[in-house]
Amino acid sequence: MGQTGLDVIGDAPTMSMIDADHPYSKYTAGTQGVSLSTLQDYTDLLDGVPLDNISLSASLPPAFAVSGIYLASQENGYDPSKLRGSTIQLFLYAEDCCYAPMMPFGLRRRLASDSVAFAAREMPKFHALLEDTYYISDGGLNAVEEMALGFVEIRYLVRDLLSKGHDIDTFAPRIAILLKADMDFFETVAKVRATRRLFATMMKEEYGAKDPRSMAVNITSHTSGVALTAQQPINNVVRGASQALSLVMAGVQSLEISTFDEAYRTPSEKAHEVALRTQQVISLETNVSNVQDPLGGSYYVEHLTAELERAIRKKIDEIEAAGDPGELADKGYFRSIFVNAMERYSHQVESGEIRKVGVNAFQIPQEDDTLLRDEAGGKIEPCAEHIASVEEFKQRRDQTKLLEGLRQLHDAGKEESVNILDSIITCYRANASVGEMAGVLREAYGHPYDPLNATQSPLSGI
Amino acid sequence: MGSGKVLIAIMGLDQHEVGAIAVSSALRDSGVEVIYNGRFNMPASLAEAAMQEDVSLIGISVHSWEYLYLIEDLQRALGELGLSIPVVVGGSIITAEDREGLLEKGVSAVFGPSDSMESVVAEIKGMLV
Repeated sequence: MGQTGLDVIGDAPTMSMIDADHPYSKYTAGTQGVSLSTLQDYTDLLDGVPLDNISLSASLPPAFAVSGIYLASQENGYDPSKLRGSTIQLFLYAEDCCYAPMMPFGLRRRLASDSVAFAAREMPKFHALLEDTYYISDGGLNAVEEMALGFVEIRYLVRDLLSKGHDIDTFAPRIAILLKADMDFFETVAKVRATRRLFATMMKEEYGAKDPRSMAVNITSHTSGVALTAQQPINNVVRGASQALSLVMAGVQSLEISTFDEAYRTPSEKAHEVALRTQQVISLETNVSNVQDPLGGSYYVEHLTAELERAIRKKIDEIEAAGDPGELADKGYFRSIFVNAMERYSHQVESGEIRKVGVNAFQIPQEDDTLLRDEAGGKIEPCAEHIASVEEFKQRRDQTKLLEGLRQLHDAGKEESVNILDSIITCYRANASVGEMAGVLREAYGHPYDPLNATQSPLSGI
Repeated sequence: MGSGKVLIAIMGLDQHEVGAIAVSSALRDSGVEVIYNGRFNMPASLAEAAMQEDVSLIGISVHSWEYLYLIEDLQRALGELGLSIPVVVGGSIITAEDREGLLEKGVSAVFGPSDSMESVVAEIKGMLV
């Protein structure tokens, strides 16, 4: 279809590091994304994928994704040191919005930091620190909140890596940002431009980067899902195109358009094709990408860029002045920002302060709203077969080897100076599942193996 | 009848909270006591919570298809505890067909994207008196 990138998004259990055979997964495995519980699942997923000329973006639990992709690429005959792609890092806000890992902050920070250090060592072309501000903002954060929170997270991880003795120029060139486009055309352009300036200034002046690549951040983007409406879904194609155009004019390195049916279902294949074709029309027919930064010099865009840069910086300082971000996360400081933003957004749409065609302007009766509606019918059933295959996989394993691996991972969890990914790799090879590995790590950090209280630790009673 | 309290929750591994938080906040603004139970509720524990809190209505926000199974399990769990608390369901992913199916299964009201917040709040309040 002309793709040069592959976006892998985990289903709800995978995102929360819960195995497909966990009781909570029964009705949802495979319905909103791909289910990845074991190394076998990673190897199967990447079977036949030309990893030497495709970029793999993984919206998956980062430490398990980096090590899973590393091993699966070796098994499938590719050199991990040449892999291109990314994994999102969400350790500060993960419990507060979407796909909670149900882990204490210290462990979330550790998994993030160790996966970035591991990738810098083994997969130098891979962006293991993709700061995903899309995820956190699509509940209703404004542009300033979105980027300020994103930078607070990047800065926290950078300081953590520097304190462990890593040189900024070994990992900063592989930091990337996935931000949210929104319907405000020029604000989106200005946000991308302000983000580049802020990043370069920080890396150079605060963290001592010398390599120019450490100062030039890669920016990727998704068009907003919350901007889409369940009413008159064809209008979402226009919303996607308008946002994509703003991103191209802002000069992002890559983008994805949220599909027109996303307001009311897990995206269908046909809707994905429309989104891809929209990008191809912009790329091949409009010529907007013939020049870099076509809006540079526009008095309005330059003004907005400077304003946003100043406001984002101010907000970063305000958050960092409130305390250590790790402690703030535990105290619910960020959670209240997200909840307030969600409430604010719904009030703005209710009151008409934010105009939404088909929702609070130019509505049509429900019975007339039929165009493209037929695409909404087909549902994706939970994948019982996959659940059964994971159950079976677990029964076939060499139990001694498995327990040895998990015990080693548990011990490594208690030892801050080692890279946890080396033990995750040992465990994957011993056929441990992601749910088991996440569980024994929780235990190493003094938390219950299964926060949902439905499965037992393999290490209990040993 | 009952306490007039409303329990709002999200079930299973569905993690989208925008709708649940918006409805909780609108209900509170209109004077209804809301217990927001957040994410990761399973049928048995949610039915248990509804009994403990003596609520008059349970509102489930859905953004993942697992609700199609979990709502039935919830109704069964409520039945096992001998509770006849009305259950209402809301979410943008509910199709017209799903809506009919839910009402047939005894769900008291189903809200979709075409319902205004005002009408959702009015309908829920109507069920509390």
